[in-house]
Amino acid sequence: MAVTLEVAEVGKDFLIPVIDSVSFGVEAGEFVCLLGPNGCGKTTLLRIVGGLEPPTRGRVLLGGEPVSGSGRHTKKVGVVFQEDRLLPWMTLRENVELVLEPLGLGAEARRQAADRHLRLAGLAGFEAYHPARVSGGMRQRAAIARALAIEPDLLLMDEPFGALDAQNRRIMQQEVRRIWRETGRTILFVTHAIDEAVAIGTTLIMLSARPARIREMVRNDGHLERGKLIDDLNTMIMEEVERQQGVVGPA
Amino acid sequence: MSARHWATRLHLPTLGVAAVIVAGWVLLSWRYGAYVLPSPLAVARGFAEIVASGEIWRHTVASLGRILVGFGGAVVVALLTGLAAFLSRTARGVIHDFLSVLNSTSVFVWIVISIIWFGLSNWAPIFTTFMITLPVVASNIVEGVANVDRRLLEMGDVYRLSGRQKFTAIVVPSTLPYLVVGMKVGFGLALKVSVVAEIFGVTSGIGYVMNYSREILATQMVFVWALVMILVMTATDRLVFDAVSRRLDRWR
Ligand SMILES: Nc1ncnc2c1ncn2[C@@H]1O[C@H](COP(=O)(O)OP(=O)(O)O)[C@@H](O)[C@H]1O
Ligand SMILES: [Mg+2]
Repeated sequence: MAVTLEVAEVGKDFLIPVIDSVSFGVEAGEFVCLLGPNGCGKTTLLRIVGGLEPPTRGRVLLGGEPVSGSGRHTKKVGVVFQEDRLLPWMTLRENVELVLEPLGLGAEARRQAADRHLRLAGLAGFEAYHPARVSGGMRQRAAIARALAIEPDLLLMDEPFGALDAQNRRIMQQEVRRIWRETGRTILFVTHAIDEAVAIGTTLIMLSARPARIREMVRNDGHLERGKLIDDLNTMIMEEVERQQGVVGPA
Repeated sequence: MSARHWATRLHLPTLGVAAVIVAGWVLLSWRYGAYVLPSPLAVARGFAEIVASGEIWRHTVASLGRILVGFGGAVVVALLTGLAAFLSRTARGVIHDFLSVLNSTSVFVWIVISIIWFGLSNWAPIFTTFMITLPVVASNIVEGVANVDRRLLEMGDVYRLSGRQKFTAIVVPSTLPYLVVGMKVGFGLALKVSVVAEIFGVTSGIGYVMNYSREILATQMVFVWALVMILVMTATDRLVFDAVSRRLDRWR
């Protein structure tokens, strides 16, 4: 079941303030892209939402339940990191089967679920391969299959195609879009590539320079002309990049 | 198989150097006499003798048996310290400090202490072997545990793997190569150390028989038993540890 996500006045300070205050709501089944200049706090925000990092201020509600630092809520969250984070000593199938163990599925059910999601991610025939024996794109697909296999209420993706070349990147964007349509999951997808966000997201959130606030939130449902949208977002991100580098003073 | 193939397999340059050494050995043996340096032929004959009489097995098995207990015990304790290091960061610090103390203690200290504690018995070489190999194996395992990729453990947290699941699926496989290296080095050390400890108080084993040969002025047998030690070491390296390493690397 996809669930709603509510981010309420979330802020985070490390040695420096990284996130000032960010609030937004996500409906069940939405595909949200989080945009912003490098180092503005996108990963940090995603980790807070995933319960991997406690916020300094504010709170996150997932299907109405608070996400604490220890992540003890009952909702299932799948995460695709920038790196694949597959266990190199396990086959792709075993990697997926592993995360199904805590869900209490039997061996046979685990195997079937693993194979089904690997197929969904376009990896049919590669179930028994070890990660080192497949390409980077396929490893990232396996990581996506693993995240989907737990049938997550929320799927978090942090620049998952950052390490891929342009062609593979485009193919994977199509695949994720297709998987989203077929599964109807709520997805929060971090990227700093505007064309990528516009190509796959239903809602786009642009963060400001550090400390991050929301600079702009747009619905990408076709009511805006795509070229114009990309141009506008590009102008915005350039401003924020410059602000972050201290070229322009704070607004 | 072609002659050329055999030449590369046997590593011709190494053989050449070996031939020079043997030639030098023969000359020195003539010059100084069989008591100081027995001839290669005498050593070969001695080797054939212990093989024919079966004495080679009696002493090798006695040494290996003590090593198995002492070194095996060290491996078991090292595994437990690895587990403790995984479970608690404090334990990791304590273990680290103790291992550096053990690591800097001389073999001779343990030999003397073990004779005081266990008298002239099997337990003296066993205990010495245990105390010397424990820090080697344990520091490798603890280092392996400390080097487990945090990002993989975090992945385990995301998918809510239990502590036991993270241990078996993530910690053990990433620590295994460290364990194998630790055991390989540890076993080599065990063989060298237990043989020294066998000089005192026991009546079997490679160390005992080497020292006995020296006492009865059978210097060629000292060389023969040194050769046996080298063979045992090489065989375990090739047959056990290299095979295990290759198996571990299958997924690479
Ligand atoms: N664990 C941490 N400790 C201290 N600073 C951190 C930590 N994680 C991230 N930061 C800092 O927070 C800022 C935002 O990082 P991040 O969220 O990774 O940015 P983005 O993903 O948008 O590129 C960076 O300046 C980074 O150095
Ligand atoms: Mg990032």
